Amino acid sequence: MLKPYVFVACEKVIIDQSIGPPPPTGSGPASLINLFSKIIVEVDTEIPANAVGPKEWAIFSMWDVEPGDENKHYILCTSMLYPDGRQFGEVTRIPIPVILGQRSQMVIRISGFPLGQAGFYTARTWIEESQQTVFGPIEFKIELQVIVTKQQQPHLQ
Amino acid sequence: MNFTCTVCLYKKLPFYPADYEICPCCGTEFGNDDERVPHASLRAEWIARGADWFFRDPPEGWNPWLQLIEGGAAQEVPHFAVNFRMQFNTTVKPPEINWGTGPILNPV
Repeated sequence: MLKPYVFVACEKVIIDQSIGPPPPTGSGPASLINLFSKIIVEVDTEIPANAVGPKEWAIFSMWDVEPGDENKHYILCTSMLYPDGRQFGEVTRIPIPVILGQRSQMVIRISGFPLGQAGFYTARTWIEESQQTVFGPIEFKIELQVIVTKQQQPHLQ
Repeated sequence: MNFTCTVCLYKKLPFYPADYEICPCCGTEFGNDDERVPHASLRAEWIARGADWFFRDPPEGWNPWLQLIEGGAAQEVPHFAVNFRMQFNTTVKPPEINWGTGPILNPV
């Protein structure tokens, strides 16, 4: 069974494509730019609960391969949850390339970050085989702090 | 096979956007609503109305702004935030963390 080695959020992942295929399943050396665990946004007005900031980021994971895995058709499933547990965006499902003697690495690129709820967001991943969960889920949290910079209206006499 | 709505950029239309089919996301009737109005204008109208899902319930996790960003129309998404920054060296203390059953490099 695949075993998680790395599972993190970062601003950008650069995969050396001179060695292997391109992301999301590139096997070349990976460079992670700006691993983060908290996002701070400033807003000057009320924002809707479904607000999104057009900020690219990525969820990167690496998996240790064990004998027997090379014959399996694993699917990496990843989702993002709001602090209240609702799902943000679709669940991404990507086949994991498995080569014995190599770690499998996966990059999930996300085009925006939800801004509508302050609190702890959950990045969750699990592995399916034949539509059955065979590992996980495992998860980590990303904190969103919202600072309202709305200026006070002067009192009229 | 799925097609993309030329107005709201919803990617899972089960039909080609034509022949009076109606997008379940933005409600555009292709061949009628877009006969004289450009798609960009229809998109702007949909956004001005709140970019709500049109027919029945939206798919789980659906978000109109993420859909527009992924569809290449990020410039049309309202600017909700005036500043946005990521912190990489903070300790996040959520109510609970589930690290699963497998070995993992757990941050100290």
